[in-house]
Amino acid sequence: MLMPRKVKHRKQHRGRLTGVAKGGQSVDFGDFAIQALEPGWITARQIEAARIAMTRHVRRGGKVWIRVFPDKPVTQKPAETRMGSGKGNPERWVAVVRPGRILFELGGVDEQLARAAMERAIQKLPIKARFVVRQGVAAAGVEA
Amino acid sequence: MAEIRLAAEARAERGSAASRRTRHSGRVPGVLYGHGSGPVALSVDARELRAALAAGGPNALFDLALGGDVHLAIAREVQQHPVRRTVAHIDFQLVARDELVHGDVPVELVGEPVEVNRGGGTVEHVVVSLSVRAKPADLPAAIELDISGLQIGDTVRFGDVRLPRGVSCELDPDTVIAVAAPPRVEAPEAAASTETAGEAAGGESAEG
Repeated sequence: MLMPRKVKHRKQHRGRLTGVAKGGQSVDFGDFAIQALEPGWITARQIEAARIAMTRHVRRGGKVWIRVFPDKPVTQKPAETRMGSGKGNPERWVAVVRPGRILFELGGVDEQLARAAMERAIQKLPIKARFVVRQGVAAAGVEA
Repeated sequence: MAEIRLAAEARAERGSAASRRTRHSGRVPGVLYGHGSGPVALSVDARELRAALAAGGPNALFDLALGGDVHLAIAREVQQHPVRRTVAHIDFQLVARDELVHGDVPVELVGEPVEVNRGGGTVEHVVVSLSVRAKPADLPAAIELDISGLQIGDTVRFGDVRLPRGVSCELDPDTVIAVAAPPRVEAPEAAASTETAGEAAGGESAEG
């Protein structure tokens, strides 16, 4: 699973999930992509599950790009623990995603196969997302 | 390329709040500049602009009617909302018919690479747009590249691309545009073990 090799601080504040994506909004590497429509935290496990769902459906050929990285630690207190005594232990890593963010890209396959593969990957994500086509690849699915 | 006539109105109010109000009223805020003249804040009808961009593409040539004058302009930058994909703001640049202007033109791969598909390979599209120089009317909507005869291991370089007449590009002829890559065979067990080892090592260092 994806996680940082080394971090400066082990625990972070939760932050806020307002607004829309500031960067990573365009399809830059492949021909097709998954774009987030809601804000949320996507865990390393969910990213891996989506990647596996996509690559298994494509089987041969195709190239996948993961455009988000889970660099935010999420802490959790053990079960049946009294409140207090400081912040819990880092349990998992998440990527902070805002609406408009491109999450995955896929290239080297036709649109029908890419759509089917990416719809399976979207099922593994905790947020609403949609299939998008890079502008200039095909007229279908691209709004002006 | 045909010129698209677009009616524009000068904007008196500036700033984000005024721009938001403009968008709510069904218009798109924009600016017109170029040829040494100062920037002019304007707005255009959102539906008309959407239809114009859909018809003419990113390098459409506009006849911009503003305050009784008609200006020849191209859309230099189109800002879109990341989710809704509506145009949030547009920059128009004044151009003359006989001057050379820069524009980004998408490269479209056309044709079915039969040999590559048969061998299980993939066509990797490396350069997706070219920065070209041409007269405004000569800027193409897209440059098509036929990949039907491609075989696994073949590379399409910029030198192989035939540009339309009147269009030039300063890219190195050896620049790779597309590659027909062989199928990547992954040993599942080896990949899994490497992944687990990497995860464990990463986990330790991340904790510290």
